[in-house]
Amino acid sequence: MTPVVWGALWIAVYLALVAAPLFVLLVAPTPPGLGFWSDFSLALGFAGAAMMGVQFMLTARFRRATAPYGIDIIYYFHRHLAVVAAVLIVAHPMILFVENPVFLHMLNPREAPWHMTAGLASVLAILLVIATSLWRKPLGLHYDEWRIAHVLLAVAAVVLALVHIEGVNYYVAAPWKRALWLIIVASWVGVLLRVRVLKPWRLLRTPYRVAAVREERGSSWTLELTPDGHPGLRSFAPGQFAWLTLRSSPFALKEHPFSISSAPAAGGRLEFTIKELGDFTRTIKDVRAGETAYVDGPYGAFSMDRHPAPGYVFIAGGIGIAPMMSMLRALAGRGDRRPHLLITANSRWERITFREAAHALQAQLDLRIVHALEEPPPGWDGVVGYLTPEVLSRHLPPDRASREYFLCGPPAMIAAVERGLYHLGVPLSRSHTELFDLV
Amino acid sequence: MRLTLAKILAVTTGVLIVALAALFALLQTG
Repeated sequence: MTPVVWGALWIAVYLALVAAPLFVLLVAPTPPGLGFWSDFSLALGFAGAAMMGVQFMLTARFRRATAPYGIDIIYYFHRHLAVVAAVLIVAHPMILFVENPVFLHMLNPREAPWHMTAGLASVLAILLVIATSLWRKPLGLHYDEWRIAHVLLAVAAVVLALVHIEGVNYYVAAPWKRALWLIIVASWVGVLLRVRVLKPWRLLRTPYRVAAVREERGSSWTLELTPDGHPGLRSFAPGQFAWLTLRSSPFALKEHPFSISSAPAAGGRLEFTIKELGDFTRTIKDVRAGETAYVDGPYGAFSMDRHPAPGYVFIAGGIGIAPMMSMLRALAGRGDRRPHLLITANSRWERITFREAAHALQAQLDLRIVHALEEPPPGWDGVVGYLTPEVLSRHLPPDRASREYFLCGPPAMIAAVERGLYHLGVPLSRSHTELFDLV
Repeated sequence: MRLTLAKILAVTTGVLIVALAALFALLQTG
């Protein structure tokens, strides 16, 4: 099957999982209806709860299910769906309040039965999860603390929703409906256990050692890791990324996604090149050789190995060069003779990460390199400013429509370049992107 | 492009769920 067919299949599986509670409701024998709006409201509540439950599956990093899309986009999907689920969940009580204002008393915990208060608390927890995720940076929340709060609030929201459904006990009262509902809930719990217990336990048994920490241009650091007592990552394709845990247990939820900047190597050696952008990344320079690290990966669909072509174009903004170096190094190691183009966008000449390493690869590869600078040095005759369609048009090869393009960098740059390439006749299917600004 | 697709898919899922909920309510009422 092609990735497109697999992609369609997994979307169907997702829809089936979300719609499952509604089908359980519909199967006879069904208790008497409560009127259109009440039943509609209840169905929205069930579906919203199911969407929240399946949210755990979306971020469970199932390799096979995420492979057709790239796991980065699954996280964005998870974010958009949370908003959709919240709309359904908030609509559930709202419709009831409008239809029958007597229900407004349920908002008062002193008057309401406990399961109604649980429902209200669930809605508030969901809104809190979404607000802290969409506005983490403006709210000044530290990433690691946010992640712990995110998991705890999300679990609390779903548990409270289940308490609410159990307490109301209307549409799931029939014994076998209850059994089906329990199976659905058990699948959510199973996924949660896999992600939070089984996977960290596996990581604990496959540690890495920090072999070296090197400073790079552009406030970036390369961490070199070697597997400790195991062969390393299985089936790592150049350009992929992994979640890295440093100075913490894999159970501590203190992991961060980074592109691997080295090519697949014998012995499982890995390099991550990380720019100082936040609280965690600013501590990379303090890591010492010999420290333990845990690597959950590889993930992502961002690799030239998935897209055969007569030549590749790599377009990197700032630290977006990291996965490109992995691919270029792999191509060099394979003795590749196809023509390739690397375009980098940076603020200043001295801040181009991997500048020397990329130029050194020109001795092994048919590689042309174009640098674009926002603040060029005096006498600079290269590209100045953004990668506009005009700039791209000037530097892209004549056979541009048959090349495959890899874009990594700030989201605004990726979107602009993707649009520019499309207007220059590059089919959208040939532009591949990696997005890291998840939360 | 993938970002836009993810948004479209999320909204489509929401619309589908609302339609299924309305269908359930109609069947219960009918």
